Amino acid sequence: MPAAPRDLATEIEAVAAQYPDRRSAIMPALRMAQERYGWLSPDALREVGQALDLTPAYCEAIASFYDMYRLAPVGKHLVEVCTNISCALVGAQQVLETFESELGCRAGETTEDGEVTLGTVECLGGCGWATVVAVDHHYRLHVKPESVGGIIAELRNVAGKTDGE
Amino acid sequence: MLLGKPMASNRHVVLADADQHDLTKLAEYEAVGGYQALARARALAPDAVIEEVKASKLRGRGGAFFATGMKWGFVPKPDQIPKPHYLVVNADESEPGSFKDNEILSRVPHRFVEGCLITAHAVESKAVFVYVRGEYTGPYEVLVAALEELQDRPEIRGDVSILVHRGAGAYICGEETALLESLEGKRGQPRTKPPFPAVQGLYASPTVVNNVETMATVPPILAMGGEEYAKLGVENSTGTRVVSVSGHVVNGGNYEIENGMSLRSIIDDLGGGVPAGRRLKAVIPGGSSTVILKGDEIDVGYDFDSLTGLGTAMGSAGIVCIDDRTCMVQLGIRVSEFYEHESCGKCTPCREGTRWMTAILRKLEAGDASQSELDLLLSVCDRIIGKCLCPLGDTAAQAVASYVEKFRDEFQAHVDRNGCPFGESSPLHGVLAPVAQGAHQPAAAVPA
Amino acid sequence: MSAPELVTLTIDDVELQVPKGTGLVEAALAAGIEIPVFCYEPRLGPPVGACRMCLCEVQPGPPKPQAACTLTAADGMVVKTAATSELAREAQDATLEFILVNHPLDCPVCDKGGECPLQDLTFRFGPGNTRMTFPKRTFEKPIPISPAIALDRERCILCYRCTRFSEGVAEDGLLVARNRGAHSVIATFEDEPYRAPFSGNVIELCPVGALTSTQYRFEARPWEIQNVPSVCGLCPVGCNITATTREGKVKRILSRNHPELDEGWLCDKGRFGFSHLYASDRVRDPLRQLGKRRFEALSWDDALDEAERLLRSGPVLLALSGSETVEQAEALSRLVRQGLRSDAVVFPEQASPAIDAFRAPLSAIRDADLVVVIGDEPVEERAPVVGLWIKAARRKGAEIVTVGVSGSIAVSPGTAAEAVRSQLADRIRGAKQAVLIWSGPGGAGGETVAGLARELGASAAFFLPATPNGRAVVEAWKAGTEDEPERPDQFGCLLISGDEAANDPGVRSLAERADAVIAITMFADPLRGWVDLVLPGTSYLERDGTMVNLEGRRQRLRRTVIPPSPDELAWIAKLAERFGVEIDPHARAVSAEERAPLPARVEHAEAPTKPAPPAQPTARGGPLRLLRYRPLFSGPAVERVEELQFQRPEPAITLSAHDAQVRGISPGDEVVVRSNGTSVRLRAHVDRNLVDGAVRAAEEHVRQLEGAVEVSTS
Repeated sequence: MPAAPRDLATEIEAVAAQYPDRRSAIMPALRMAQERYGWLSPDALREVGQALDLTPAYCEAIASFYDMYRLAPVGKHLVEVCTNISCALVGAQQVLETFESELGCRAGETTEDGEVTLGTVECLGGCGWATVVAVDHHYRLHVKPESVGGIIAELRNVAGKTDGE
Repeated sequence: MLLGKPMASNRHVVLADADQHDLTKLAEYEAVGGYQALARARALAPDAVIEEVKASKLRGRGGAFFATGMKWGFVPKPDQIPKPHYLVVNADESEPGSFKDNEILSRVPHRFVEGCLITAHAVESKAVFVYVRGEYTGPYEVLVAALEELQDRPEIRGDVSILVHRGAGAYICGEETALLESLEGKRGQPRTKPPFPAVQGLYASPTVVNNVETMATVPPILAMGGEEYAKLGVENSTGTRVVSVSGHVVNGGNYEIENGMSLRSIIDDLGGGVPAGRRLKAVIPGGSSTVILKGDEIDVGYDFDSLTGLGTAMGSAGIVCIDDRTCMVQLGIRVSEFYEHESCGKCTPCREGTRWMTAILRKLEAGDASQSELDLLLSVCDRIIGKCLCPLGDTAAQAVASYVEKFRDEFQAHVDRNGCPFGESSPLHGVLAPVAQGAHQPAAAVPA
Repeated sequence: MSAPELVTLTIDDVELQVPKGTGLVEAALAAGIEIPVFCYEPRLGPPVGACRMCLCEVQPGPPKPQAACTLTAADGMVVKTAATSELAREAQDATLEFILVNHPLDCPVCDKGGECPLQDLTFRFGPGNTRMTFPKRTFEKPIPISPAIALDRERCILCYRCTRFSEGVAEDGLLVARNRGAHSVIATFEDEPYRAPFSGNVIELCPVGALTSTQYRFEARPWEIQNVPSVCGLCPVGCNITATTREGKVKRILSRNHPELDEGWLCDKGRFGFSHLYASDRVRDPLRQLGKRRFEALSWDDALDEAERLLRSGPVLLALSGSETVEQAEALSRLVRQGLRSDAVVFPEQASPAIDAFRAPLSAIRDADLVVVIGDEPVEERAPVVGLWIKAARRKGAEIVTVGVSGSIAVSPGTAAEAVRSQLADRIRGAKQAVLIWSGPGGAGGETVAGLARELGASAAFFLPATPNGRAVVEAWKAGTEDEPERPDQFGCLLISGDEAANDPGVRSLAERADAVIAITMFADPLRGWVDLVLPGTSYLERDGTMVNLEGRRQRLRRTVIPPSPDELAWIAKLAERFGVEIDPHARAVSAEERAPLPARVEHAEAPTKPAPPAQPTARGGPLRLLRYRPLFSGPAVERVEELQFQRPEPAITLSAHDAQVRGISPGDEVVVRSNGTSVRLRAHVDRNLVDGAVRAAEEHVRQLEGAVEVSTS
């Protein structure tokens, strides 16, 4: 078993101490591991399990229940288009298809350069401001097909800057 | 967080002063009288606070509409069950069509926190857990900032701890016992009741689970007095409600209304009505799990009794307007897919039934369904309703069954014409749902 | 105890009284009415109401069918099952229709077919046809979740019994549900096997053919088999079992619930440990040593002549295994003591009757409020079911204290009893029901723990012996005959009873001092070159007789299949005749009880309590004290069962964190363990709870080593 890097284990420990029962910390712990590694690899699940004294199987049982945990690698950026009814009624599918054509990948896939993962998600809770797109977990409201280009450019720019650093 | 424009409304209670002030700031909230209700509540005995809330006739804003004061009264006193008492706030707003808690947390976080602290006092809890849905990054950040502002205000915090726990994308965790399971670090699957959370909730201890809006309504009740609050709204639905308006309307957004306001007025006067040139075909009145109303059924008061009278419910106050271009079979598919995706998988009828519903609806839309399969759809719904462990499956089947019942001709037309009369002209045509995209790869599945 | 409060309720127009708190499923059963269930299984903890098979109409209650399994009987309750309620009938029919939507209905090739609750309930409560018109869910199948268990996800109805067992009974956390909703599947982590001592119970818990035994796969149809009730003879618990046989061969072992003893749980050694009966090196005929490494088969007449000749060659020493039946031990006692006039015997372990004064059913552990486990060996390795009772006690709120080299109170080897006296006396005295459990080594056959129980006022005490029937064998030896022969100063012939004794290094070294060696064993390969005569032994599954378990419960062992060689009692009787001793060649049936009762407590007059001598403390930095334990998954049977190989511990040595650190050893490193010129290479494990100065290893990996060892990276 890989030894947990001190800082993640310590981070998890700090959160676990806030709950009456350490097991409650598994969701924040999985989130922290995912933020650190980008996704929850088998090794990441082992690491979380070790920190909380839970089996990796248990960690996977939890991680696979919730949509936001990633059990496969994803791109550096996440674009998630809400396609539930309120967004769909006002054109979410067109927004999604524009993302698909401009990114060159289908929903559920990652761009060839590994920069962006595109996906559909269930209701994000912004129905009156449809279409809602979560870009790296921050909401963009009233997204139209014509706003897609700008969002992608923004991501590519940020990505470019990150690479240049 | 960017939200819609300031709200038009007929009465602001929960969102009072939020258009004029930045109530995310402690100073501004205090300037409009913030945290004074808390001081008033703490001067009272816990039971007196409960009586005040009972007098307000406040009913829970999460969807079940259970009397809040009565719920608090069910919690055994600490000397009856000598375990910690917990207050758990359900901020896992995930019902399609509802986004009110998003707005409340984002704009009046301190009023919400004040409500939590008053409630903690009433039910004698020292530990509050706020379960915020995982996707709500914005509201989470606002709430955490508000709590940080209270760090050096011990006279407000008292000896109560408030821990914000983030969900991770599972609609079912909006169901209170599933939420408790999730908070305990388990898969968010509902528990059987009894035992009820009031007696055996979080960590098998007495627990009150309340919705965000309910919490944010408590301070105004304490401020104005329960009886005064009860004068707002209508009988059995006192006070105000923040309603979410979306879909085919000109001005989508949240509006705080006095309960009992007509649904037509909410849609036309607040929401600006259906965009020009189209006709209102149907309205989902309380989030996607509620029975649908036809476009001509909206001359009804938006309150518990009136909507129950029409066979539907206020639910979580998500009003979704649907215009005449929309195919109701396609709506059925999209709603059914959602519940199929969100079914926790614990009980049989929900897990298997929602999947079956989707399959039949897809055949109808594709023109491959026979007459008997249309009947089968209703039979499957009927066999789900009332058989499930929690409301998810029941309400999913009720909602879809209502589309068939209220728009039977349209479903019949799919059979008779061997296909969809709307086709691509319906805005819901071809919408890709996460369940179809396969958000979770079924492990080691082989394509059929 | 006062009489339980009764409540009166009506089920399908039958009025009945049951104790308050009785579950509706059991209440109905008491009235002879079936409420069908899949997920409901009280042994797994509180009901979950998942499968919805038990939906009934219940008043008072909401106007929809209720999950009867989640309700308890109450006064005035009116319950209508499918027999009398259309609402319930329709609901149960619906549940089965939903379950069958994705079930493959491959019953003709399913091992569960014919004994399948899904088949039975569909027959009684289900729809007669299907209305489903879309493709069923398909999965790769079967998936081996371990070498012993195959998973067919298509058949799985997601009742979650198996995962509840893993999480809530065995507490191993290895078998889980993955994904959500209709995508949910039962899984282990990655490709890792379900490697835990009780894994096989999920096969029996599964109400469909989703979890099946790889040993039993395609081996038999239910109408071709015979199920023979018996008890397990592989450890001192004596779990009640049923052996399924077909055409004279054991095909599988199932648990047979004895609520006081095993609660229907069976460890994998007991469950899968039978295919060694058919191992290629099984001794079927008597064998005589021929040259250095070979044996030749003998006729039984020649074998008895040869045995007589060897037994007459000099004073006889008998080495017992502790797995013999009472009757076998008595027969051997009479042969050796009465017929051969020798009192020389090597017992498998120490025995003491003192423990009888604190006798209790194992289920008393669950009902205790304080459980103290004393000793240096893990409970699961000695008496696995006891480990489950301890976990059940903890779940019920009991405090569990372990005192030993890696206990919650960690002490030096051999000092546990003293530590209990000095550190736990008040807590034991203050507890309502304190249970003490001795988990080896030493303990003077239970005398030490009985002494502690008496001194500190514990309500019950258990001693976990090392062998399945050790104490009874010792007592049978003494009771076998009233003769009191001399113990000879030296011996000429060593008579070894059983494979365990034959594989014991101590017995092996005795053999080097003997002129002649006779062994009664199932397997001959390890005997090549040092045993003169091998007489075929039998397995516990092939014997009639009596076994006395660690509680003191006398249980009946039944012959489930005919052994490939004559029964030991039969030929021992013949052999004994030659020495003028008459022995009954048949075991008398000691108990006709389906589930043996526990005898009353016995206060033995002479129950001296003397503390065990404290062990020598080890100097820091000096050599490490090697503690050996016998793993559950070891021994002549396990070694020959293919499906159990993955359960055997890897060759490893466990060190304390400090001892590992000062030697520069990390967990997983290969290390050299030395003593007196011999060395073995083992993988290093680190146990944070282990006391410094002690190391632990499975006996089979450190046979060559002595008591003090040094461990280094090279």
